[in-house]
This record gives sequence, structure tokens and C-alpha cells, in this order.
Amino acid sequence: MTPQLALLATLDGIAYAALVFMVAVGLTMIFGVMRILNVAHGSFYAIGAYSAASIVLGLTAAGMNPWLVFPGLLLAAVGVGAVLGTLIERLLLTRIYTKEPVLQLLVTFAVFMILEDVQRLVWGVRPYFAAEPVYLLGNVQVVGIFYTAYQLILLPTVALLVLVGLRLFLRRTLSGRLIVAVTEDREMATALGINAGRVFLLTFVLGSTLAALGGALASPTTSLVPGIGADMIVLSFAVVAIAGLGQVEGAAIAALMIGLGRSFAVYVMPELEVVVPYLVMVIVLLIRPEGLFGVVERRRI
Amino acid sequence: MLELTDVDVHIEGVHVLRRVRFTVKSGETAALIGRNGAGKTTTLRAIMGFAPLTAGRIAVGSKDVATVPPHQRAGLGIGYAPEDRRLFAAFDVEGNLRLAGEVQGMNRATLDARMAEVFDILPELTTLRRRPAGSVSGGQGKMVALGRALVLADKVMLLDEPFQGLAPVLAQRYAEALRRLRERRPDIALVITESNPALLQGFVDTMLEIERGEVTVAAA
Repeated sequence: MTPQLALLATLDGIAYAALVFMVAVGLTMIFGVMRILNVAHGSFYAIGAYSAASIVLGLTAAGMNPWLVFPGLLLAAVGVGAVLGTLIERLLLTRIYTKEPVLQLLVTFAVFMILEDVQRLVWGVRPYFAAEPVYLLGNVQVVGIFYTAYQLILLPTVALLVLVGLRLFLRRTLSGRLIVAVTEDREMATALGINAGRVFLLTFVLGSTLAALGGALASPTTSLVPGIGADMIVLSFAVVAIAGLGQVEGAAIAALMIGLGRSFAVYVMPELEVVVPYLVMVIVLLIRPEGLFGVVERRRI
Repeated sequence: MLELTDVDVHIEGVHVLRRVRFTVKSGETAALIGRNGAGKTTTLRAIMGFAPLTAGRIAVGSKDVATVPPHQRAGLGIGYAPEDRRLFAAFDVEGNLRLAGEVQGMNRATLDARMAEVFDILPELTTLRRRPAGSVSGGQGKMVALGRALVLADKVMLLDEPFQGLAPVLAQRYAEALRRLRERRPDIALVITESNPALLQGFVDTMLEIERGEVTVAAA
């Protein structure tokens, strides 16, 4: 492998990790607070991506100022997260919080299947391309390699902003600290007067918005086809398992491990590409079953 | 101030509390004495709304709390320190205390005054302020949990086995803190659970004995 190829693989890996991180961190936050493994998280990614593509294509067709596509991507993410997230949490999840985990898993899986069909109904099965945002930002040359500025600069920057923003939100704001408190000990948080139900809604909307943001930002770089949600949720589960459930910073590192592992595999052993995320996961879990940064749960009676 | 009338609690089909009936008046200190499994913790959890009643009534002040959801009970002026401390490890000691007040919507001045009072009653917390709550020792943690309950306890204070597992020196200091609490906040209705009544001799006004979920009032 030449140094140039290695660099290319690294850049690819980082761009990919940025997307995976945004989706996975939402999943891990939702699990941390609500103790629900939300399979439908992948649907938010997919619907966020399709909505973003529609907005981008619509704006371009209408001949609007092309730079409007960037606020358009953001709008798609926030819209999907806020509307769909609120609906699902209030109408469905509030009914199953006290049920056993198996049932919760089944319900979110059902939601995932339903949304998968909704998505086919709305957007059909033919691939969508909406690469306008990538063309707009142009290419950047890095030691002889041309690389899209969208993937080289925009994606990692947004992921970094999400990471830093989440950290500040969770530590510095009262809403954020309520989320942290409920994550650690829901009953004690309630004893202090924290309305866990409201914290659940806030967390679910925030986490879903992050998944939709991952989708919206991924949409210009790939062709959208049915099944992208399923691919992403499986990958996110791997990231969350590697990092340890509920770990925000850990999710960033785990996403990088998977992103880089995958992109290097593409150049070195392409046939391994698909299994690399799971190889990384298996190795990590064999050594640390609670994940890299996970803490062993204390059992409470 | 705190009144339990014929309270019944079943947990997963087991009858845990049977017609529990007692009153703790404003300014009164009551000890709930009983062996492990007698129902002490469940009594306090029922007051906090974590163990649903199958019969009976709990009133704080003159208010029946049946319709008050668990997260609004703290707002009635109930401070609760569970036996296993349950501090938030993600925050420092002061952060744990302040969170309680912030959740209740106290403004900065009120909360600062409240914090000053807590540090006055529990001076050992002053040096722990910036320590991550996950790193304090078990005994120190009990003090922090007491401080956190104090931030919220306008009317009622529930302490679940505060002396359990405390080294003698710390138990001594904890008892002193409780005396200071009694001086500074003479109006609080205080309930302390304990398995060893000797520890609370001379400090409590009412001894309540609980056995297999039934409470009898004994002479203090």
C-alpha cells in the first residue's frame, strides 16, 4: 500500500466515521436514558436521507439559490427528528416503557418495518441521487489526491460540532444534566423532582434528529435505495456495542475504528469490507464485554 | 405533617405493608425501627410514590398525595435520602446538591442561601464540594445524600438507614449534623429508619416499630 493510498483510505474512513458517529451517538443516548434498543433508529436515518434528497432536488429544480441546499439538509434532519420522533415516542413508546425488553425490541422492530414500507410508498424503489451539495463545495487537493471538500471538510466538521455540542449540552445546561441524571438513576432523578417522561421525549427527539442528520448529510454522497436504514442500524449497533452503551465520546472513537477499518479493508482486502465492523466488534467484546468505555452495571433490587 | 392511614402495599403479589398507620407532626422526629425486610424502605418508597398503594392514604400537610405523581412529590417539600446514597457520579458533590434545587426551579439567590444553610449544617461537605460524587467514600456519600435531601426538605425529611455501615466516628458526626438540622429547621417532620434502636435513643420523639409490614407505636 502506497502512502498515497493510505492517506486516501484514512480520509475515506474519517468521512464515513463522521456519518456513522452521528447516527450511533443518537442511538446510544436513547438507550442510555430510556433503556430501549431502538431498531427504528435506522428509519430516521433513511427518512432523513430521502427527505434531504427531496428538498435538495426540489430547490435545484425550482432554480433557487443553490447554497440554500445546506440549510435544506439541516431542515430535513430537524423536521424528521422533531415530527416523527415526537409522534413515535408519545403514541407508541410511552406505552411500552414498563414492559419487558423483548417486547420493546419487537415493537421498535415493527415500527422499523412499517417505516420501511412508508418510505417505499413515498419515495419508491428507484435510486435517488442528490449530489448538488457535493458539487457546490468542489474538490480539495491533498498531496496529489483530489478529494471532495464535502467529505474531507464538511462531514468531519459537523461530526466534531455534534460531539462538542453534545458534551457542552449534557454538562452545562440544565436540560442536559437532567438527561445525564435520568441516564444514571431514573428513580433517584424522579425523587428529586425530575419528570422522566419529559426527559424521555427530549432524548428521543434529540437522538432521532441526530440519526436524521446523519442521513441528510449522507444523502449527497450516495445513491438512496431501500435498505439503507437497515445497513445503518446494524452498523450503529456495532458502534454502540464497541463503545459501551450510553457512551458519547466512546461512540466517536468506535465510529472511527469502524470507519478506518472498513476503508483500509477496501484497499487491502476488499472481500473483508463488509465483515470488518463486526470483526472489530467481536475482538473488542472478547476483551472487554462491556465495551471499550462501558461501565459494568450495578444491579439494583 | 406526614400522615399514613391504613396503607397497604403489595409488591409482585407479596403483601409488604399492612394497614400502616402513623403520624409525624411538624417538628417531630420519628424513628421507624425494624429488621431487614420488615418494610422500612418500602414505607419510605410509598411516601415518595415508588411503591403504589393498594389501599390507604398518605397525606403531606393536609394534601392527599394519591394524585401527585412521583416526580412532583419532591415539590411538596419532601427530602429523601435513600439507604444506598444514589448520588449522580457524573456530577461533583456540589452539582448533586444544586441539581435538586435547580429541578425545583429555585432561583440563584434562593439556591445559594439554601446551599449556605446545607454547608452550615454539614460543614464536612465544604471540602468535598468539587469532588466527583462517584469518588467519595460510603460514609461521606451518606452526608452528601443528607445534604441533597436538605435542599428539598421544606416539610418532610425521610432518611433511610442513615447509620447503616457508618464507621463510629462518621456516625458520631452524622448524629451531630442531625442535631444541627433540628436546631436550624425545627419545623421539619423527620423520619429515620434504623434496625438498631439504641443508636437513636434520646434523639427521637416517637419510636415506631415495624414488623412484617405492621407498625406499632412504642414509647420513645
